[in-house]
Amino acid sequence: MALLDAQTLSKLKGVKLRARAVVDGVLSGLHKSPHQGQSVEFAEHKEYAPGDELKHLDWKAYGKFDKFYVKRFEHETNLRAMMVVDASGSMGYGSGALTKLDVAKVLAATLAHLLVRQQDAAGVSLVSGSTVREIPPRAAATHLQVVLDTLESAEAKGTTDFSGLADQLADTLPRRAMVCLFSDFFDDRADALKRLLALRARKHDVAVFHLVDPAELTFPFDDPTLFLSLEDERRIEVNPREIKQSYLEEFTRFLNETKQACTAADVDYERVRTDEPLDQVVLRFLSRRAGGGRP
Amino acid sequence: MTFAHPWMLLGMVGALIPVLVHLFDRRRPRQVPFAAISFVLRSQKRTASRLRLKRLILYTLRTLLLLAVPVALARPEWVETGVVRAAKGAAATVIVVDTSLSMRWSAGASLFEEARAQARSAAQELSAEEPASVLPCGHAVASVAPLNFDRAQLISSLSELKPTYELADLNRCLDQAAAAMSESPLANRRIVLISAFTQSGLRLESPPPVSTGPKGEKIKPEIVLRDVTGGKSLDNRAIVDVRAEPAPQVGPRAWQFTWTVRNFSDTESRDVEVVLKVEGEVVSKGFVDLSPHGTAQKVMTYQFTKGGSMLVEAQLTPDALVEDDTRGLVVAVPKELRALIVNGAPSAQKFRDEAFFVDAALASTGSPVRATVRDADAAWREAFADYDVVLLLNVSAPPADVAAKLVTFVQQGGGLFMSMGDRVEPDAWNAVLGPVLPRRLRVVKTAVEPGAADAATRAARLQQVSPTHPVWVPFTGRAREGLLSTRFYRYMLFESDTTQDVEVIGAMDDGAPAFLTARKGRGRVLAFASSVNRDWCDAPIRTAFLPMVQRIAGSLSGTLDEREQTRARVGEMVSLPLDQGMVPTALKDPNGVELAMTRAADGSSVSGGPLAVPGRFTVPMTNGQSLSFVASLDPAASDTTRFATEELAAWFGEEVVKSSGLTGPSAKTPVWTWLLVLGVLLFFFEGTLLRR
Repeated sequence: MALLDAQTLSKLKGVKLRARAVVDGVLSGLHKSPHQGQSVEFAEHKEYAPGDELKHLDWKAYGKFDKFYVKRFEHETNLRAMMVVDASGSMGYGSGALTKLDVAKVLAATLAHLLVRQQDAAGVSLVSGSTVREIPPRAAATHLQVVLDTLESAEAKGTTDFSGLADQLADTLPRRAMVCLFSDFFDDRADALKRLLALRARKHDVAVFHLVDPAELTFPFDDPTLFLSLEDERRIEVNPREIKQSYLEEFTRFLNETKQACTAADVDYERVRTDEPLDQVVLRFLSRRAGGGRP
Repeated sequence: MTFAHPWMLLGMVGALIPVLVHLFDRRRPRQVPFAAISFVLRSQKRTASRLRLKRLILYTLRTLLLLAVPVALARPEWVETGVVRAAKGAAATVIVVDTSLSMRWSAGASLFEEARAQARSAAQELSAEEPASVLPCGHAVASVAPLNFDRAQLISSLSELKPTYELADLNRCLDQAAAAMSESPLANRRIVLISAFTQSGLRLESPPPVSTGPKGEKIKPEIVLRDVTGGKSLDNRAIVDVRAEPAPQVGPRAWQFTWTVRNFSDTESRDVEVVLKVEGEVVSKGFVDLSPHGTAQKVMTYQFTKGGSMLVEAQLTPDALVEDDTRGLVVAVPKELRALIVNGAPSAQKFRDEAFFVDAALASTGSPVRATVRDADAAWREAFADYDVVLLLNVSAPPADVAAKLVTFVQQGGGLFMSMGDRVEPDAWNAVLGPVLPRRLRVVKTAVEPGAADAATRAARLQQVSPTHPVWVPFTGRAREGLLSTRFYRYMLFESDTTQDVEVIGAMDDGAPAFLTARKGRGRVLAFASSVNRDWCDAPIRTAFLPMVQRIAGSLSGTLDEREQTRARVGEMVSLPLDQGMVPTALKDPNGVELAMTRAADGSSVSGGPLAVPGRFTVPMTNGQSLSFVASLDPAASDTTRFATEELAAWFGEEVVKSSGLTGPSAKTPVWTWLLVLGVLLFFFEGTLLRR
């Protein structure tokens, strides 16, 4: 497992190889069937139409209503998962071997791979400023290549705009879907995260992967430094030693607030350090979901 | 505020370093793209005001730190004026005022004036129940007046104090003051010491003063130190010694003076003028360079135009202590002696001539004698009174009237030298010159014939000469050996005589007198038992002959006695040897004030003093003559090197020194230790701030 840390992954070129490695790691770490996530719960009745499987005819309903109805079950409806990857400029930061965007891409690709492998539909949405590049979720194996290629081509640029993204996702995800958000959530707008989490209210299953670079957590700077923004023209010269305490307080508060907001919105929250083994991250995520618990 | 090392304050420029670093150290910061810049901005905004304050405090701390270090190294002392810390409770007090020469040091007002003002101030600050007294402290320590409560009398006695020219003995004064307070019933004792604290006046190897309490217990008195110098060093130059000696190589009556000049300052003195004065008249000038605390010698030569006692002084360019810039002495410059040489056996051949060798000796360079040579017949017609000395060289007995004139001449103070020879008839001489002969002549003794083959070994030799007699004083070492090796072939024997006033100053190896001298009336006679040419001895060809003849002439005229310089020192007694017939009438100081004197019972000397002032003292005699000498300052009194305050405090004991290092009526408190503590605290706070 430990072989799949950021340092090792960075030696693999491309999202596909990295995702493949993580998937293998994840599969070898699972002890239960990867299909256990399939639902067999009753979903709805549908009036029989030629072509429907007869085995699903609800004879009790025929007795009551004298019409043929066919039972629809959840497992019959593919899980529609959308990997939403924040490709803003700030995601391009990495103090170690991988940037936050690299990690986000690997995680998204891994999850997409796992979903498609169990006949679920996986799509991807790359968000960079107000631009959203979206690949709708599909379950076809060939579609996975499209998803991976899209992730592969993602570059960190532009600003973070979760407000616009939330609106767009609300429009393009009409049915209940799983939304996996990969972002550092550096959006200064006050209600940005709330609007994104509001997807949960629309019955979407939302999971948040909060990507954090170790340097952002520890602020390991000493000498006077000119900090440059990765998204705009902002820059500031400070003596890091003088503001370190205050920075760490601010950043910790931000992390806690983000997590609390997710918890309050009944959203899975997974904080991901870019230097930790990604298979561990995925396993941790899957096991939590398997347990049905939310953070 | 005073500083021990003020030049260290230059280091305060270093306080500009933090500002300069801030102004000029504009290093390019490292550029770092950073995702969480919003948090950096927020943190910077949040901490900006606090950081500004912190930065300001840091600059202040660093500046203060850089200021504190050089100021501390400059060793500042806080001066509290008008403060004399009182002892707990009433204390018996003795105010000791240094009256030594150093207190005459003056830069505007003299230190002694300042001392008197401080003594008044100290007296006025005493409480009514404190008994007090004043002790002037010079070389001779006066007894302490009984302690009393009469402040008016105390202050009045202060007004009568005068500085001396002596070296103070502060140790004895402090002991005396401590002893005087032993009588007091008060438990507290206090000594107020007002001085310039020169190192020559106080011996720190001696124990500090201790008083005795009412029950016999030892009490360390409280010491109040009042430094009249204001903490400054006392620069001083002084002539500390002089050596005078004849300089015959320059000419008759020429003297060479070697003045020793010493610099008691920390600074160099260049081209210090030295002025030579004779009897108050400037006769020569020179210059000396003095290194810090160095000594230099200046040699000056002067040829006197006349004889007699002369006051010779050297004077330096005046400094703050002018009293020791002048030093003098009285030299006895030989008067020109007029000598009549009576040649009893003239000869055309010079080396056979009786007077040739004597005349040559007296006429040599540097001789104070102007000799006139006459044969006997011509000489008897001379007026002897015109001469100081008459030398009878192998002459026949003079006619009775001439002999009488010679006797009168001697009785009235003339000098008479007689040498023997073939023409001297003992009986005839005894008959006419008996009154002036030291002893009567008896017979001529021949040790060996001059021409004999063994004359060199069988000749008589001088066995001994009186080394203390003025004639023989220069003959020491090889000169004495040369004198004693003179060969005598023939010499006159004298009648034995027990007369006390005849002195045999040289005798042959058989005990026969060779040189006899005696006083006859006011004059002196000296008889030489052999001849002054080579007929009876080889003395004339000896190197000792020339100085011997000159000194015999000087001795007979009395000038050799006067040449001995009297070295007297201010503050001490003086003793002067007296010649026969000298009766002193007074001992007068340079201002004409008569001092007490005592004449020895045998009349050989007179003593008097103590000599209070430097300068020329005179002792007039009843016969019209007078003696004079110069009283000089003790060179140690000129040493104005001062003790450091810490040394004094350590010696007295920190616990009893109440106003250590006072400047005037003020107290100095060392500040530098507190500054160092402050510096350490600043450094600590600076480090703490940096870590935050």
